Amino acid sequence: MLQCIFLLSDSGEVMLEKQLTGHRVDRSICDWFWDHVISQGDSFKSQPVIASPTHYLFQVVREGITFLACTQVEMPPLMGIEFLCRVSDVLSDYLGGLNEDVIKDNFVIVYELLDEMIDNGFPLTTEPNILREMIAPPNIVSKVLSVVTGNSSNVSDTLPGATGSCIPWRAADPKYANNEVYVDLVEEMDAVINRDGVLVKCEVYGEVRVNSHLSGLPDLTLSFANPSILDDVRFHPCVRFRPWESHQILSFVPPDGEFKLMSYRVKKLKSTPIYVKPQLSSDAGKCRVNVLVGIRNDHGKTIDSITLQFQLPPCILSADLTSNTGTVNILGNKTCSWSIGRIPKDKTPSLSGTLVLESELERLHVFPTFRVGFKIMGVALSGLQIDKLDLKTAPSRLYKGFRALTRAGEFEVRS
Amino acid sequence: MPPPVQSQRSPSPSQPSGKSEVSDLKLQLRQLAGSRAPGVDDSKRELFKKVISYMTIGIDVSSLFGEMVMCSATSDVVLKKMCYLYVGNYAKVNPDLALLTINFLQRDCRDEDPMIRGLALRSLSSLCVANLVEYLVGPLGSGLKDGNAYVRMVAVIGVLKLYRFSSSTCIDAEFPSILKHLMINDSDTHVVANCLSALQEIWSAEASASDEALREREALISKPIIYYLLNRIKEFSEWAQCLVLELVTKYVPSDTSEVFDIMNLLEDRLQHANGAVVLATAKVFLQLTLSMSDVHHKVYERIKAPMLTLVSSGSPEQSYAVLSHLHLLVMRAPYIFFSDYKHFYCQYNEPSYVKRLKLEMLTAVANESNTYEIVTELCEYAANVDVPIARESIRAVGKIALQQYDVNAIVDRLLQFLEMEKDYVTAEALVLVKDLLRKYPQWSQDCIAVVGNISSKTVQEPKAKAALIWMLGEYSQEMQDAPYVLESLVENWEEEHSAEVRLHLLTAVMKCFFKRPPETQNALGAALAACVADFHQDVHDRALFYYRMLQYNVSVAERVVNPPKQAVSVFADTQSSEIKDRIFDEFNSLSVVYQKPSYMFTDREHRGQIEFSDELGHLSIGGEPSENVVSAQRVDENDKDLLLTTSEKEEASGSSNNGSAYASPYDNSSASAVGSQTRAESEISNQSATGYSSQSASLGIEDLLGLGSPAAAPAPPSPQLKLNAVAALDPSTFQQKWRQLPVALSQEYSVSPRGVAALTAPQALIRHMQSHSIHCIASGGQSPSFKFFFFTQKTESSSTYLVECIINTSSANAQTKIKADDQSTSEVFSTLFQSALSKFGNP
Repeated sequence: MLQCIFLLSDSGEVMLEKQLTGHRVDRSICDWFWDHVISQGDSFKSQPVIASPTHYLFQVVREGITFLACTQVEMPPLMGIEFLCRVSDVLSDYLGGLNEDVIKDNFVIVYELLDEMIDNGFPLTTEPNILREMIAPPNIVSKVLSVVTGNSSNVSDTLPGATGSCIPWRAADPKYANNEVYVDLVEEMDAVINRDGVLVKCEVYGEVRVNSHLSGLPDLTLSFANPSILDDVRFHPCVRFRPWESHQILSFVPPDGEFKLMSYRVKKLKSTPIYVKPQLSSDAGKCRVNVLVGIRNDHGKTIDSITLQFQLPPCILSADLTSNTGTVNILGNKTCSWSIGRIPKDKTPSLSGTLVLESELERLHVFPTFRVGFKIMGVALSGLQIDKLDLKTAPSRLYKGFRALTRAGEFEVRS
Repeated sequence: MPPPVQSQRSPSPSQPSGKSEVSDLKLQLRQLAGSRAPGVDDSKRELFKKVISYMTIGIDVSSLFGEMVMCSATSDVVLKKMCYLYVGNYAKVNPDLALLTINFLQRDCRDEDPMIRGLALRSLSSLCVANLVEYLVGPLGSGLKDGNAYVRMVAVIGVLKLYRFSSSTCIDAEFPSILKHLMINDSDTHVVANCLSALQEIWSAEASASDEALREREALISKPIIYYLLNRIKEFSEWAQCLVLELVTKYVPSDTSEVFDIMNLLEDRLQHANGAVVLATAKVFLQLTLSMSDVHHKVYERIKAPMLTLVSSGSPEQSYAVLSHLHLLVMRAPYIFFSDYKHFYCQYNEPSYVKRLKLEMLTAVANESNTYEIVTELCEYAANVDVPIARESIRAVGKIALQQYDVNAIVDRLLQFLEMEKDYVTAEALVLVKDLLRKYPQWSQDCIAVVGNISSKTVQEPKAKAALIWMLGEYSQEMQDAPYVLESLVENWEEEHSAEVRLHLLTAVMKCFFKRPPETQNALGAALAACVADFHQDVHDRALFYYRMLQYNVSVAERVVNPPKQAVSVFADTQSSEIKDRIFDEFNSLSVVYQKPSYMFTDREHRGQIEFSDELGHLSIGGEPSENVVSAQRVDENDKDLLLTTSEKEEASGSSNNGSAYASPYDNSSASAVGSQTRAESEISNQSATGYSSQSASLGIEDLLGLGSPAAAPAPPSPQLKLNAVAALDPSTFQQKWRQLPVALSQEYSVSPRGVAALTAPQALIRHMQSHSIHCIASGGQSPSFKFFFFTQKTESSSTYLVECIINTSSANAQTKIKADDQSTSEVFSTLFQSALSKFGNP
């Protein structure tokens, strides 16, 4: 049971305070918290669950905004964290991004949202679709609407029908002239390649995202050509469990609009789409660097926005790095980033140069980890394929669309 | 709420200072209050916004209360919401003014828009003002019967708020029974869930007072209610599901088929998108099957995949919370995760608290089949840019080595660390090699070869230095130059700031002495002397203890200091299994994240910080196993400190002495000797280091302490006077004599420049004079002025000479006062002393 929620700016200023129970939490806890964060050096480094002398604090940091919740009683920690994550998601969804100004400008909306999302310290409704029916987002449309109609309230007059319905994620009967449903497979590849060039770990985390604009109460079934490759799956509450258990078919009544239908994991993949071969050899206070990047196996799709990032070890005085393709930047915090874009047909991109070490060092002992980014449109690297999507009572006009996309998640190559 | 002027942060320049703006707002609000002009709502809204933003940044706007209430007679929902917010914040401070709001809130509670009814009811129940309670009962009662679920939902929570504020009013109005009825009959799951949470709280609080409440609380976890809730679980919102699942963990099924029914029903919850639901379900599964061990293990298998997915899919914060729980499971049943070790590999970008957990899990899941890969992975972290994690990974390698039978490959890796030439890597690796040798003495050959190459000068960290010194002492037989390394360390005694290292050094020199006496005796003498003069009580005490042991019997001393060791088979675990069980019972709670059972961190609040630390201190000194669990854990918490002394404990395991302050009782003898003396006087006991006499004639003790090494010059032959090389005098006798005897001779003479140069520390002169059979009993002072008390005895009689010698190095002169039992020979002694002194500094 949470007692209070604070929103702090990146300078530690309390932007918003929402007391949830009769047991008030003094604002001084924020000062304590901020001192604690500063003592840790970086809010990213301090733990999400902290015990202060008086309260237990949950913190989630998003875009420089700290969402801080306090409690004095035992509770499931994931509930606190998960809730704060939802709050941040909903706010950034409502306000079109998160930053200090947008929260200060719209703090009334933030209060209203918090009012509906949590009462008496217990989370109530966090489903964005339903919240949107109770509190209109401050977008241009609603502003124009309020001018036109003269009704300046950004609170809708109707109460969400779904609070009473047995399909809590779906608003009552939307009507669309064009019935559309789009399914996206979005995958992230996490891979670790060790010093010897061996693929230590390679797995894909994927999401099935659906954007549905369907009238009435549509009942959808989605099936995959090869569901057996999935290692573990998690579903949106709308997915019925039995059909999946017996036939690996996703049967569901979708929420209106965009949502994450399912997430999955595919383990133990054997290969990565690109290779990165770093070579570092040091001698007499200098270190020669040479990194090659190339396509390993052809998926028939272009690999886009290839980037390579690494942190130069602190013992390096200066670096002189050049590449034959793309641009190399060394940022102030000694992060070197090489953006390649697409791999040209005629040559293999390479980055080379020398690093000058601190005077007393002969050789480099700390080796950088290269983080690789890429994007491939049109293919799901896990190999998952959608077989078909059916609608039980098909409306006269129905558009269905499928897309796939894979990008690098935590893709790292050690040297 | 922001109570007035509580913000310690000074307002930034752009923020209004308060006063004038507030009175300005007051005026404007007043003007708008009565107005019914079109568009007035918009201007009101702007003003309200301003008021609330002031309130948010901590400016006291409570003086506007009256005006705000007056302005709130409006149909605009947003205005109302802002007003409710404002009223909720300040009603407590202004109970009289709050009365004003009752009217319009009550009216709003009867509004035709359910949204407004709900909001008004929520605000009304949040007021928490004592004299307004009576106004709350009516609206709550009708709210509970409202046709709209939203209002009912708010009303249920309102009842709980009322209960917290005034339990008697709530009970008198019979709200609990209405809630019970609603919980079972209401069609809306939000209402049901809120009833459940309200009733849980109310009955639990009442249970101590009334039997009926106790029965009601039991009834909540009765079969019909649980089944009723479970059957509807999919209709509940995800958060309410957590609540229901938490309740189910308290339910005790009558037989195993019921357990399976419940698990079947809930199995799909493990696939839920909300991590909180997944964990709550996992807890239900684990709790239900506690008594069915085979099923319990299948449950581990079943919940493994969803939890691993949660770790890899969520934000770092979520990952951390789930990882903490996985950590618990891994520690309980590592074998389940043997093949999943790759999930615990650290990613470069992860925050270090996540990496740390992962390292612990990697350590736990290492077994014969995956050790090689895990250790390879860990070794890569050792070259990581993140130094603390690099250290932790080296430690993890060490831990794996200590829990494996086949450590062949690991030892090589560890030794490679030593050759990496990074100071922190070397430091960590040294500590590990030490522990490794304690468990696997058979590896000493390989390790010693590498350790021998490490220069003690490059190792700076106390722990690592202590480890290195321990190895030097322990394996001085095998390491060629061990005595010399130790000797050079002893010479730099003054520069060694860590008491721990000094303790280790003393013990190591002792051990080395037993193995290679001729090469070490100088070093031991110097070490004992330096230790006795040490300002650190432990060092001082241990030196005295060693000295007295040597005095008593050298072979006993050897048995105590350097007993034959048995390899350590199991290192003390950091957490008792009982504690782990307690944490496990609190699965899905903060306990898991903190890795402590809840009573450990909740109790602290009641106990207060100071008492807590007191207890810590007490326990670490006592060091005895405590009966109660609480303190046992305290010891665990403190186990870093304990580990620190483990090595010492082991060294002395044969003889029940651990030599450190933690065992002060054993030092009784020296304590009583020193006890009554002042600190300055106790320095006199320095004689124990040097003027050591001889009943223990075995080995070369006299040699060591009296005559110096065989190479040292023999006592200068003097026709008149022969001095006893092994004279003994205890401090109290010295004092007594010094007081009784008159000054026989008082002289002043210059010291040779070479002598001055050599006299950087008192020890140098003490050693020198010893070689002339003049023993120091106490010394002190700092450059340029040193003070010594010497004594010596004639060989043929027990006649003693006492000398006070003050040497000033800047003026290069020495003042001596000589007292003697036999005054007639004091003249002769004086020349002897002078000649001995003048030779000081000669090569």
